[in-house]
Amino acid sequence: MSPETALSLKDVSYTYPGSETPALKRINLTVAKGEIVFVTGPTGAGKTTLALAASGILYHDYGGTLKGQVSILGRNVRDYRDMSEIGRHLGVVFDDADAQLIFTTVEEEVASGLENLGLSRDEMRRRLQEVMESTGITALADRAPHTLSGGQKQRVAIAATLALGTEILILDEPTAELDTEATAAVSTVLQRLAREGTAVLVVEQKIGELAAIADRMIIIEDGTIVADGTPGQVMRNERASSTPLTGNRRMIPRCSDASPIISVHGLVHRYDGIEAVAGIDFEVSPGEIVAVVGENGSGKTTLIKHFNGLLRPTDGSVIVAGLDAATTPISELARHVGLVFQNPDTMLFADTVEEEVAFGLENIYPGASGERIEAALHEVGLLHRRTVYPRSLSRGERQRLAIACVIAMKPDVIVLDEPTTGLDARESGRVMEILERLREEGHAIVMVTHDMRVGATCADRIVRLKQGKIVQDGETYQEDTCPRLCSMSHGRAPFTGSTLSPN
Amino acid sequence: MQYVTRESAFHRLHPLTKLIFAIVVVALAVLTADTMMLTVLAAGVVAVAIASGLARDLLRQVPLLISLAVSLLILTVLTIRSGETLCYLIPPSVPVIGGALPVTVGAIDLAVAMSLRFAAMLFAFQLLVISTQPRDLVHLLDRLRMPVDYTLMFLIALRFIPSLQLEAKRIHEAQLARAYNPGKGVAGKVRGLFPIIIPLVSNTLGKATVLGLTIDLRGYRSGKRTPMRELSPGRADYAGICCMGAAAVGYLAVLIV
Repeated sequence: MSPETALSLKDVSYTYPGSETPALKRINLTVAKGEIVFVTGPTGAGKTTLALAASGILYHDYGGTLKGQVSILGRNVRDYRDMSEIGRHLGVVFDDADAQLIFTTVEEEVASGLENLGLSRDEMRRRLQEVMESTGITALADRAPHTLSGGQKQRVAIAATLALGTEILILDEPTAELDTEATAAVSTVLQRLAREGTAVLVVEQKIGELAAIADRMIIIEDGTIVADGTPGQVMRNERASSTPLTGNRRMIPRCSDASPIISVHGLVHRYDGIEAVAGIDFEVSPGEIVAVVGENGSGKTTLIKHFNGLLRPTDGSVIVAGLDAATTPISELARHVGLVFQNPDTMLFADTVEEEVAFGLENIYPGASGERIEAALHEVGLLHRRTVYPRSLSRGERQRLAIACVIAMKPDVIVLDEPTTGLDARESGRVMEILERLREEGHAIVMVTHDMRVGATCADRIVRLKQGKIVQDGETYQEDTCPRLCSMSHGRAPFTGSTLSPN
Repeated sequence: MQYVTRESAFHRLHPLTKLIFAIVVVALAVLTADTMMLTVLAAGVVAVAIASGLARDLLRQVPLLISLAVSLLILTVLTIRSGETLCYLIPPSVPVIGGALPVTVGAIDLAVAMSLRFAAMLFAFQLLVISTQPRDLVHLLDRLRMPVDYTLMFLIALRFIPSLQLEAKRIHEAQLARAYNPGKGVAGKVRGLFPIIIPLVSNTLGKATVLGLTIDLRGYRSGKRTPMRELSPGRADYAGICCMGAAAVGYLAVLIV
């Protein structure tokens, strides 16, 4: 093994406890010091498992059957005493940012690891300041982690790991919830660290900024590495082997005279003195897909929570299907507005998929027939999974189930908060196809996304928010680069709309 | 209950002084069941909070204390008969069961004493927690040679209460958006809990693994820590400890006499 090798996996196979099928199959991978390796692949392909294997976590913490050899800095992970010892050389940013934040202020969080490294106080302060500045969280220093937005939490989790200054960094979906600006900041930091000799292994669902800075790109499918090379090579091969991604998206004419189903006038919402929404005028008509986009913390989620009464306006009005959303009970508004939350796990509780769908339906239409449940499950392609325990479904299936729960209630408006976060291109595409069919049926669709690409390519109209105000509201139509079409034609993650260009 | 960023006099004290304050209050509260003495003790803690501008934060615990006091009162009235009988829950004029469940002075005294004791201890502990950054508490407990597992348990309990509340709120909102109706009566209320409790428990267990790994990877079990800022006791701490000592001696003297 070269002395420059930081991470090495030799013939690694892994089967989770209680499972019969291996999640990783004979993986061979090395990451050199100073190298950035980008790993991607569809949902459930084994990307996170690969990150866990490379960090020694599978061996030290998970149990299951691990075959082959994993080495960190030339030493077999079995020879490390425990994860604490590995932690001196290797830092991991997990995909669940919330669970990694232990302390009650952001500054404490970032400083927490530094205090265990035996550094001088001056050095600790210098590192703390540098990491907080480079990840753009200096202004959040005194905030409590649980009050931050998803993107802010992710930045804090990254900063807390970067502060450790380990020789190896493993990041699992580090930019899933980050806006363009924050992603660019993270890319710059990783590039600098790599130049200084840090080995970086990044696992991402979507190909974007981080792939552009990688020295190598790896595609994993069904637990096996199917492509490994420079990003340019891998992309060229992918493009050659996949169906051309030219679009044929149909524009469905909207009735311009249809009266709006949602009318927002002068909406203001203040939380603890902070104006999250600062005077918004906005309308949504039946049969249109509106993307509400904006950077983290721009007021997107606050806006949509007014549509079904989860938040009431501080000032201004919100009229939904002729009802005043400021005073109408949530249960009444739920007949007209269905809300699909970003994380489907916030709502899944029933024993079977069909019971899960029945819950909301029964609340609104007691005694409603099973036909509606069947129709909703058929619509999202889960009819064959109707008797399965919802939490055992894959991430993409759970997201589609959450949508089924809402469409079974046949609301006029379907609102989705970050519908494609955590989904690969194929699953994102399926979700978008469902939304398009619903639009054709006359539903109004409002989706919130921090991913401008999704907004720009999959919606009829984009409403961009900045600091609680609308700064852009216009129709959009581009020759297709929408993930839904790309993914239908080919099983692998598509390479469209990314910042990459083959070289 | 969690750290509140503020520049109060109590915030500026050394964590050890605040820990001693909490321990002294707990010790004095346990030593007596005299309602007058416990009133003085609870009032003393509240006075410290008012002087430090933290009284409003303590007020948040009042609903909890009231519900606790009411529960204790019901429990003592139903189980203790001592001293003068003030009245009966079932009037003596009622045939057969009349005169059952007397409300006695002893039962009320005990409920009041226990409530005051709990209030004093809770307020003192809350003052410690809201005015001390968790990492300072961790370093202090470290210095006092508390095993790291207990220190981390304490820290995580503090940190995850607000997180759990937030997660429960998020789940509640998600179910409300599905026209969730908690139902009527006790059975309805119990049934209505499932859509909240099941996702809450499942999601929290999922986070536990990541949390444990994060603690390990940040070197929290290495045992060698250099606090980013070294806090040393100042004049206010010495003065505070002297005042506490004097108050404790006075309190004990009254108790003994």
